[in-house]
This record gives sequence, structure tokens and C-alpha cells, in this order.
Amino acid sequence: MVSLTEISELLQKGKAKLVKELVTQALEEGTDPRDILNEGLLSGMMIVGEKFKKNEVFVPEVLVAARAMNAGITILEPKLVEVGNEPVGKAVIATVKGDLHDIGKNLVAMMLKGAGFEVIDLGVDADAESLVNKAEEVGADVICMSALLTTTMPNMKACIDLLKERGLRDKYIVMVGGAPVNQAFADQIGADFYTPDAATAATTARDAVQAKK
Amino acid sequence: MTHRERFIKTLKCEKIGGQVPTFELVFFLTMEAFGKVHPSHRYYEQWNQMSMEEKTLQIRDMADLYIDTAKKYGHSAIFVHPNPGGVENTQWLLETIREKSGDEFFLMMHGDPTWAIPDGDHMMDFAARMYEEPEKLNEESRRRLDRSIEFAAQLDQKGHLLDGFALCSDYCFNVNPFFSPDQFDELIVPFLKEVIAEYRKMGYYTIKHTDGNIMPIVKQMADCKPDAIHSLDPQGGVDMTRVREIIGDQIALIGNVNCGLLQTGTDEECRQDVLRSLRQGMAAGKGYVFATSNCVYTGLSLKRYEMMLDIWKQYGNYDHPAF
Repeated sequence: MVSLTEISELLQKGKAKLVKELVTQALEEGTDPRDILNEGLLSGMMIVGEKFKKNEVFVPEVLVAARAMNAGITILEPKLVEVGNEPVGKAVIATVKGDLHDIGKNLVAMMLKGAGFEVIDLGVDADAESLVNKAEEVGADVICMSALLTTTMPNMKACIDLLKERGLRDKYIVMVGGAPVNQAFADQIGADFYTPDAATAATTARDAVQAKK
Repeated sequence: MTHRERFIKTLKCEKIGGQVPTFELVFFLTMEAFGKVHPSHRYYEQWNQMSMEEKTLQIRDMADLYIDTAKKYGHSAIFVHPNPGGVENTQWLLETIREKSGDEFFLMMHGDPTWAIPDGDHMMDFAARMYEEPEKLNEESRRRLDRSIEFAAQLDQKGHLLDGFALCSDYCFNVNPFFSPDQFDELIVPFLKEVIAEYRKMGYYTIKHTDGNIMPIVKQMADCKPDAIHSLDPQGGVDMTRVREIIGDQIALIGNVNCGLLQTGTDEECRQDVLRSLRQGMAAGKGYVFATSNCVYTGLSLKRYEMMLDIWKQYGNYDHPAF
């Protein structure tokens, strides 16, 4: 019988092939795919995230763990659909208009997936309209915006202003991050949360969605 | 002393007295300041189609713009971004700058063969390779290192008009370095150390730049013996006093004025930040170049940059310490 703890530990070590094999084996043995997801993959990814927050691991370790998680999820996904598994929430994420930097945004997207979110990634250079439209289209819970440039930070506010204009502000949890962004800026533009790193973004989003529900 | 001499003495961490030197990796606001497009933003698709006369005019215009920028803002060094690149065009641009300004300014350009943080599309693959085939990454680093040294040698043989290289591979995020200290030791340190040593043998100075929180790896960077470390990013929590404690007083420090604040802070917040930076930088009485924590990038307020320089003119003088 495959141990879900072992899947979690292998994921933390970034062993994508072994994670894939054990997930396959666990499914063949009849383990509930939701248990494999929550107690194996997501639990492993959350441990990596916590270690990252404490500076015990660095980004490359997070990345290979995420790769291992993706390898497992690829196998698991059809089974999760069959049992009607619901994600923790839906997050629309993008780097804002005028900004082509995607490292931080991709890390957050990865950690959100690791926290059980369905992530809709609009890539870079996304304007307020496309963010809000996509959030409406998919029924998102969270809108995450990233900016690396001080010159593009105001475009985060543009998105929040558009939400207000359309009477949608309270419908979404709005999160911002990126090198020049800080709590004061987040407060100034009326975002719900600023987080300094990807792992904190994921736990904050999860807690906020659960609190809202 | 010329600006160049003062800059070199600063890189050697010798006392210079007088005004603290300043420069920027890039000053992109040339349209606003001089009515001209920055050389890096020019698109020379038809370069090879141009007559020699046209090429000469272009090169001379770029040289003028670099020199005018340095003169107007009191920069001691010019970071040249040859466009088009290649040894011949680089040499031509350097010759033209030297012809027009003599040895007044310290001239530098890019020259970092070490790995930087990969972009979002490649970081997953890169991270996997770090664990699965680090030896292949190191083989690539070796090839890049060889090319960098070869390029430097060619410029050296053509009269050594360049003074140094800025090594601009970014290693760090705000929170932490991309590479763990062990990975940094394995994948970066050997090549950083070697390229700096090889440049030095040819008489070039080196300035190691990276944004972000360098503190976990700053000692390793310093052990590679660059002449200076640049950016000292306060957005990454870098404190110059703490850096000095770790790396000693034989490596110059450059940067540290908070770029983010220049863009988003109030005048008073900026003023306080500039004064803090000057105070910490000048504390050793040597080995300090005043600069932003990145560069004067597109979109930054020129007025704010000029305000920053006004404070530097007033307070950044070793002979009249205001602190």
C-alpha cells in the first residue's frame, strides 16, 4: 500500500518521476484521489512553502517540488473530475499592464496551485479590463496582481478602480505583490492583501477564501 | 584629479576627499534631458546598409549623448551599451568617447558570464537542471566565461580604452537569493571568481551588480574579489553598514538610494532616504559611490533624480561632512 506521507516526502525532494509512479500506484490500489491530492501532493507542497517562508529552502527547491506536484496532478486530474473534487478556490493572476516580468507571478501561481487553487494565469502585460473580465467569466474568488516596475504599479489601482466602477469590489479578494510593492502601497490603492513572497501569498489567499466562505 | 582617477581610487578604496563620486548603470531619460533617444532604445536594423558617413554620425551622436549625460549629472563613470554590439562597433564607440572626452570618465560595459535568475518561462527547467545536470550548467558557464574573456582580450589588444566591466547577472529576489548558498558555491562562485581574476590580469576593474537581498551570499560574492558591489538594494533589505561589517573596507560600495521610493515616495521620504544612504556610504570615508539602487529607468521622474543629486551636491562631500 502506497504511503501518502511518502508521496509528500518525495514531492518535497522534487522527485517528479517517483511521485508520478506512486500516485499511479495509489490510484490502482483504490485510494481516494482526494486523499492523494490533499494528504500527499498538497500537504507536501505546503511544507515546502512553509520552509520557504522560513528561508530553509530556496526558490529552485520550490520549483522542483512544484514540478513533482504537477507530475502527480497530471495523473490525478481525471480522477478528481470523476469524484467532483472542488478546488480551494479560483484565482486569476497576471503581471499588470506595461510590465513583462513574470518570475514572481509564476512563483505565486505555482504556490497557489500547491495550496489547492485552480489558477487562471493571464500572463504578463494584462490590463484591468482583462483581469476583471476573466474573473467574472470563471467565477474567481481571488485576483492576484504582480508588478516589478514602480512605473506599472499604478495599473494595480486601475484594476481595483474598475472593480469599484462595476460594483464588483466586494466580490473579489484582491492581492498585490512584486519587488517595489509594499503594505503601504497596498493600503493606498485599496487592495485586500500584500504579501512579500509566493508562499505567503498562497496561504493568505487560502485563508482569505476560507474566511469568506 | 579627473573623474576617472577619482572613480578608480574609490574602487581601490583609497581616500579621495571632496565630492563623493556618482554614476548610474543606465540613464534612460535622455529624451527628457537632451531631446535624444537613449542608445539602447535605438533600433539599427539597417546598420550594415548605412554609409560610413551615416554610421560615423550615429556613433558620434551616441558618444556625445553619453558624455553629455555624464557632464550634466556629474557622473564619474559612463556605462557604455554598444548598439550595435560586437567588438568592432564597441571599439569604435569607445574610441569616439575617448577622442571627445579624453580620459575624463571611467568607461565600463556589460561582461557577466555567470547565471542570473532565469525568466518565468525557463525557471522550472533551469531549476530541474540545477539538480539533475549541474555539470552541464557548469560546462555552459565555462563556454560563456571563455567568450567573455576573449571579448575583453580583444578590447585590451585594441588599446585598452575600456576601464572595467559591470557584472550584471541578478542573483536575488527581495526576500532571498534565487540560489541557495550551496548552489551559489557550486554554480556561480567558481566562474565569478575566475572572470574577475582574468579581467583584473588584463587591467580591468569589476563591479558586481545584483538587485535584491544579497545578504545570505554577500560574503561569497566578496570572496570572488570584485572591486565594487553595486545596487545594495534597500527594497531587498540591504543595509550598507551591515554589508561593510561582513565584507570589510576593501571592496567599494555603490548604490543604495531607494529607487522605489524615488518613484512613489514623498519628497521628504526621498530626502531622508538619500541622506541615510549618504550617511552610511560615507561613514568609512572612502570606497563609496553615490547612486540609485538600480538605475535611472524609463518612467522615473527626472525631477526626483535631480532632487536626489541636489542633496548629494549639498551633503556628499568628504571635506565638509554634514553627518
